[in-house]
Amino acid sequence: MLGRRLLLLFVVAFALGGCEREQRSTGFRVALLSPGPISDAGWNAAAYEGLLAVRDQLGVEVSQVETRTPPEFEEAFRDYARRGFQLVIGHGFEFQDAAAKVAPDFPRTVFLTTSGSTVRPNVAPLVFRLEDATFVLGYLAARLQPDGKACAVGGMDIPSVRGTFVAFEAGAKHARPDYPVTVSYIGGWDDLGAARAATLALIDRGCRYVFQNADAAGPGVFQAARERGIYAFGSNRVQHEVAPTAVLASAVIDIPHAFVAVARDVKDGRFQARPIEETMADGTIAVVYNPALAAVVPADVRHDVDALAAAVRARTVAVPYAAL
Amino acid sequence: MLRALAAVVVAFAASALVLLVSGARPLPALAALVAGAVGDRFALTDTLLKTCPLLLTGLAVALAFRCGFWNIGAEGQLLMGALAATAVGRTTGAATFPLPLLAALGAATAAGALWATLAALLRVLRGVNEIVATIMLNFIAARLVGWAVHGPLMEAAGRYPQSDPVPTAALLPMVAGRVHLGVALAAALAAVIWALLFRTSVGFRWRVVGDNAQAARVAGFSPERAVLTAMLASGALAGLAGGIEVLGVTGRLFEQFSSGQGYTAIAVALLARLHPAGVTLAALFFGALAAGSGAMQRVAGVSAVFVAIVQAGTLLALLALEASRGRTIAAAEHP
Repeated sequence: MLGRRLLLLFVVAFALGGCEREQRSTGFRVALLSPGPISDAGWNAAAYEGLLAVRDQLGVEVSQVETRTPPEFEEAFRDYARRGFQLVIGHGFEFQDAAAKVAPDFPRTVFLTTSGSTVRPNVAPLVFRLEDATFVLGYLAARLQPDGKACAVGGMDIPSVRGTFVAFEAGAKHARPDYPVTVSYIGGWDDLGAARAATLALIDRGCRYVFQNADAAGPGVFQAARERGIYAFGSNRVQHEVAPTAVLASAVIDIPHAFVAVARDVKDGRFQARPIEETMADGTIAVVYNPALAAVVPADVRHDVDALAAAVRARTVAVPYAAL
Repeated sequence: MLRALAAVVVAFAASALVLLVSGARPLPALAALVAGAVGDRFALTDTLLKTCPLLLTGLAVALAFRCGFWNIGAEGQLLMGALAATAVGRTTGAATFPLPLLAALGAATAAGALWATLAALLRVLRGVNEIVATIMLNFIAARLVGWAVHGPLMEAAGRYPQSDPVPTAALLPMVAGRVHLGVALAAALAAVIWALLFRTSVGFRWRVVGDNAQAARVAGFSPERAVLTAMLASGALAGLAGGIEVLGVTGRLFEQFSSGQGYTAIAVALLARLHPAGVTLAALFFGALAAGSGAMQRVAGVSAVFVAIVQAGTLLALLALEASRGRTIAAAEHP
């Protein structure tokens, strides 16, 4: 009899203690789910800098976790939300489905995905239109060597990455309508060897300017470029520190600025779930040159590129944006 | 049991040292690890969900190793199982439950068995080293999954390299919360594999072939047949692991589907000394470690890299203590 009562007590305690919907709140807390290592000097590193900026500028508590697969996305979203984090950022297009799935259970947490189009009462995409900058880089490549070829190496073939390549090619064709651009994907974000091999193959087929958007595998692209003496373009963050002799310029996102703005809105209760778009016109997206290789770009080309960037900012040139 | 406890203590002490080097505070970090593994129902659920594929692939590896076949291909067999379960689950999903589920699980089992048999045939007929063959088949399976989710199985929206969700009629029922029936199935299969290995003539042949193929041949057993049947069973288990992962956890297939469970399975099997009961415990341990390490990042702010070091260090400590136990026993037997 006593045993059965104890068992019942145990079951009740278990059920109560394990309630997944509990929401404890102690101060404002922000979490980041990165799809790769924050040491990638690119996409993930930039997001981590953004998270630290939120911590320092708003004086709030932050946390970060590396998540690789949709089940891990969901697990991390759920865990942060149940622990009462008010803002959880899934860093990439791929986090949308998990955010939409978890969000109804945690109405008091805002789920932000960087890229995407999914909007729910507490889910919103923060879209970085890196296309603005890759368009300018494509134009730069085609102007530097009008009879050459350019190429791009990506991690996974997802809209947010493909979009940067489409704009890169459109930029090149803006300079010369039949400028050839070849694209290759390695099917993941970590394999430096695969990125290097893919780049070498593209160079063997005549590529002279390579743009990479492969996160932690990106340095493999720079390595190949350095080996064969061609120039590369970085993405998401200033990347000429990674390969000072190979990276001519980078398409850069000012993620700290964007994260702080959103986090401040959420913190102050002013946040409205809607697609947020950051562009070159806002100053969040930019092209940053490698000062050590400034001599590679002739003055007239530099002038025209700057003029094109101004036109992109003024929206007098149409940059193709990815449908997300 | 006492020795296992000692191993865990040593492992935690070593981990604490690593954490100290990383700049994290070791005690809160390890507390987060434990809480994230067994602290509450959320943690226990995560541990069980992460144990399930490790248990099945661990059994697959242990069974193959017992037969002297170095099956490094549980990863590829798991992926083929996931691929088959998704394809069949999506096409038969309109029928009434449980037909689509059974069809999908059957397809996963068959696909895993087929993938493993390829390597077994290569060795039996052509003398191809099975380690090389199974590793290469892993790469092919990963590429096949990548191709499928960019091609025929890609979601209708065409945005992300993943399949559309498998219809509900093909999904595994939930036992409690997010814990699906596959967990119970895996536990039952551990018992079945134990019985198969130690209580049937088939299992006896596998073990004899694994211990000494020459002696098996002299005794009238065909090592070739034993390897083929063992790999059929091994691949079936690993394939089922992939199928259950799709039908119980992810609900769909996507690129980079496995986070390396098929490789962790080798550590699980070796730590368990290839015994099904041990595999169950080892899989639980690795499942708990995987669940807890996620929490260690989220709660204690330890970076993913150091979490990986702690995981590997724990395994090494356990193996080292296991090895020293082996020596002690050997010394006692042969003074």
